[in-house]
Amino acid sequence: MAVKWPSKRRLLGTRVSRIDGADKATGKARYSFDINLPGILHAVMLRSPVPHARIKAIDTSDAEKVRGFKAIHQIRKVGDEVYFAGDEVLAIAADTEEHAQDCLRAVKIEYDPQPFLVRESDALNKDLNTVSPFGPKKDRTNVQRPITATSEGFDEAAKGVEVTVEGTYGLPPISHQCLESHGLVAQWTDDGGLTVYASTQAVFGTAMALSAHFNAQGIDLPATKVKCITHHMGGGYGSKFGPDIQGIAAAELARKAKAPVKLMLNRADEVMVGGNRPGAYGKVRIGGKKDGTITAFESDTHGSPGIGRGGTVGPMPYVYPFTAKTKHVPIRLNFGSARAMRAPGHPQSCYFTDCALDDFAAAIGMDPMQVRLKNLPKDDPAAKVKDPQSLPAIRGTLYQQQIEIAAKLSGWKDKWHPPGKGKGTGPIKHGIGMALHTWGGQASPQRNDAKVIIASDGSVTARSSTQDLGTAQRTVTAMVVAEVLGLEVKDVLVQIGESPFGTSSGSGGSTTCPSQAPATLQAATAARDELFSKVAMKLGAKPEDLEILVGRVRDKAADKTYTWKQVCARLGTATAEGTGAWTFAESARPANAGISKFGVCGVQVAEVSVDTETGVVRVKQMVAVQDCGMLINKLGCESQVAGGVIMGLNYGLFEELIIDRNTGRVVNADMEFYKLGGIQDMPRIIVHMMDMPERGVIGIGEPPTISTHAAIANAIFNAIGVRVPQTPFSPDRVLAALSKGGK
Amino acid sequence: MDDRKDNCQEKGGTAPLAPPGNGPGLSRRDFLRGSGAAAAATALAEAPIPEAEAQETKKADKAVGIGPGSVKLTLTVNDTKMTASVEPRVTLLDALRNYLDVTGCKRVCDRGTCGACTVMVDGNPIYSCTMLALEAEGKKIRTAESLVDGGKLDAVPAAFVACDAQQCGFCTPGFVVATGPCSTRTPRRRPPRSSEDWPGTSAVAAPTSRCAVPSSNWSSRVPANPNPQRSDPWQ
Repeated sequence: MAVKWPSKRRLLGTRVSRIDGADKATGKARYSFDINLPGILHAVMLRSPVPHARIKAIDTSDAEKVRGFKAIHQIRKVGDEVYFAGDEVLAIAADTEEHAQDCLRAVKIEYDPQPFLVRESDALNKDLNTVSPFGPKKDRTNVQRPITATSEGFDEAAKGVEVTVEGTYGLPPISHQCLESHGLVAQWTDDGGLTVYASTQAVFGTAMALSAHFNAQGIDLPATKVKCITHHMGGGYGSKFGPDIQGIAAAELARKAKAPVKLMLNRADEVMVGGNRPGAYGKVRIGGKKDGTITAFESDTHGSPGIGRGGTVGPMPYVYPFTAKTKHVPIRLNFGSARAMRAPGHPQSCYFTDCALDDFAAAIGMDPMQVRLKNLPKDDPAAKVKDPQSLPAIRGTLYQQQIEIAAKLSGWKDKWHPPGKGKGTGPIKHGIGMALHTWGGQASPQRNDAKVIIASDGSVTARSSTQDLGTAQRTVTAMVVAEVLGLEVKDVLVQIGESPFGTSSGSGGSTTCPSQAPATLQAATAARDELFSKVAMKLGAKPEDLEILVGRVRDKAADKTYTWKQVCARLGTATAEGTGAWTFAESARPANAGISKFGVCGVQVAEVSVDTETGVVRVKQMVAVQDCGMLINKLGCESQVAGGVIMGLNYGLFEELIIDRNTGRVVNADMEFYKLGGIQDMPRIIVHMMDMPERGVIGIGEPPTISTHAAIANAIFNAIGVRVPQTPFSPDRVLAALSKGGK
Repeated sequence: MDDRKDNCQEKGGTAPLAPPGNGPGLSRRDFLRGSGAAAAATALAEAPIPEAEAQETKKADKAVGIGPGSVKLTLTVNDTKMTASVEPRVTLLDALRNYLDVTGCKRVCDRGTCGACTVMVDGNPIYSCTMLALEAEGKKIRTAESLVDGGKLDAVPAAFVACDAQQCGFCTPGFVVATGPCSTRTPRRRPPRSSEDWPGTSAVAAPTSRCAVPSSNWSSRVPANPNPQRSDPWQ
């Protein structure tokens, strides 16, 4: 059905505290990790301690005699290979977690060690074919075929440059470090069904995947009999789609033991196998004219997705439409697989491009903000005609506006100085830096269902299988329904996170809000219309004469108003219900223009101080200017941006997954040596949200984390006048850069 | 296995699945009642150890045990006496979460770094993963769950909600518990507005948050001493 966002918004676009906030803050909210069921068993996983080996022998006989043992699920058998330290071998369930660990210690496994590689430079030096076979040719090579692209006319453009700058930049792999680890609680029901309480970003998809797994094993498990529940979720960032190996293990163990089983990863496992954001290293050459026009961009990068596959950078060059020649070499190595992490590929691409741009600006002695303004993508006149709200139609103007706002909020004009030429002669140097980002945030191609039910007592329920990862999606749903029905947010009961509530897509690509909010708008509008058609006669009115006011319904023809409850009471024993379903295809229909869209920009400015004696970097202030189409919950958006900025700050200053070259093991699979900033490390964060209601809803989850570390890198460069090429900007790296003079 | 089956039958079938609401689908009472036989071996207050559990213990004795067996543990959690049978190696955090179904304290790092498991023990914030459950016997334990009274939120969690100082919220109960004494014991000091103000030694310096929104939102918006009429709610 064709719907529209209200032209005058009462609740949408305002700041609303999340409706499950109190439950979360007082521990009442139950996460999957918190589920306890009668007779629940605890399971733990045995993982390979070596990075590559063939399994020679597995003896579980002693383990099965240990106190509390209940069931075992073998994932690898004798003769199989393991491909990284942390690779799954088997899982054991016991009556308590302590006993499960005892059982694990009693398992005897003999490994026949095989050659392994965990360093990209080692693999580039000599390929040892140490990874899992892939494809029909069973390819085991470490160094994959390069991904290359050359824009038309690159050679000519490269010839015409007046100034060329070459730099080497790098980002190590980092861990998602979801606070609630991966895992689930599995319980088989008397009717042969399976209920799981999963920590997942894809409630519906997890249920489907479990059904598919068991059906493939010859165990009949119709999709309709699998129920996945995720009422609250403790962080995913792209790493929690589907049941995963440990989720399937929990379900298998629960089946064998005929009891519910909880299997949540411990912290070390979480860091080793819960996914990582891949690193990227390489060279960028950037050339242009002395007036700041950049005409050629050349990059040669490599990165490792661990045992996974694929490249580790996003679009190169990033944001700016330079004529370019790019090459990227993915290198498969023997550590845990990379997984999507909050705008996969974009932080890497942004870092390479925006750092190189600042180095170019320094070489020609220009303010990098001016270089950015000079090289921004232009508004596309053809797009302006065809689809005026599309990103190509507006991005030049939008970036320019955002840069101006960010410059004003950060005091750029007063604070920027040529690199290393700030005021003062003391050891502490101050600097300011900028970076730009972009993202999609469209509706998912998969269908998202929503349902709204109005009861005769006036109570309203909104239902969907979608999940709230901490994005305040639950609050978004309540706000949309309350807006349409003239109610307050607290009047709407939101039930989400249960797979039987309909189809929904996984929360990836910032697609949840632009998928769910339109579906909810449709459902609420349909429920309102059904209410009107059911009660109109009883009110002596025509349905088309009824309209929603705040807390009331008005009969325009008779100029009479009724309270919401009076109207709903006329439903008698019936309910008024409406459903909605939204997809990307639906959003692209001309009739649905302005409901949901995609394509956002963003600008961030970092202000830092660098102690040139100790090498300590402190971020003093971050300014983040962000658009995401029509704002629904302004407070939720601001929190998303602040959270994204802080995550990006952690990428820049603290985070690094360190894998030991000699043992192939992650040496900081914990939280004491894997560093995350605390409250004392946090800057002042100024978030400026742009509200663009004419564009419709666009996702916000990923973009604000992309450009933060590039902005910080440029601010450090501005402070000390030398480039610290690699994150995290730890004191040793800063001091090394200072001592080398940035060469 | 059989013990558990009997136990389920006693209850009249398996545990109910979650109701359509957003609740956990199982009350604490249901959990405690149902879990006597096998894993959790918990019981309310002074209830005697059920027969089934005694049998389980007997059977278990024949298996290879590692370390000393279970002992009876009584903890005072949020003014309620709770009893469980736990091995001496069980931490306070695991006893609360796995044996007593008090799950507001979260397990994240499990080695005294992150602060998600912070509870108050005799009025002092403690990382419950660093304390053995048996050490906490006879002490007053308070968790984030105690900060709501008949629907009325304590000032600290209320400020977290109002400022939206949480996203996924998994670190929040630990943050809230750590914040309580910080703001009530030093009533005149305003909370830090940024790293500039913060000496780095206080109760809330340590908690780790993945999005750290508590640090940005909380520090700039939570009022100092949000609850002046109470001297120290944690005592």
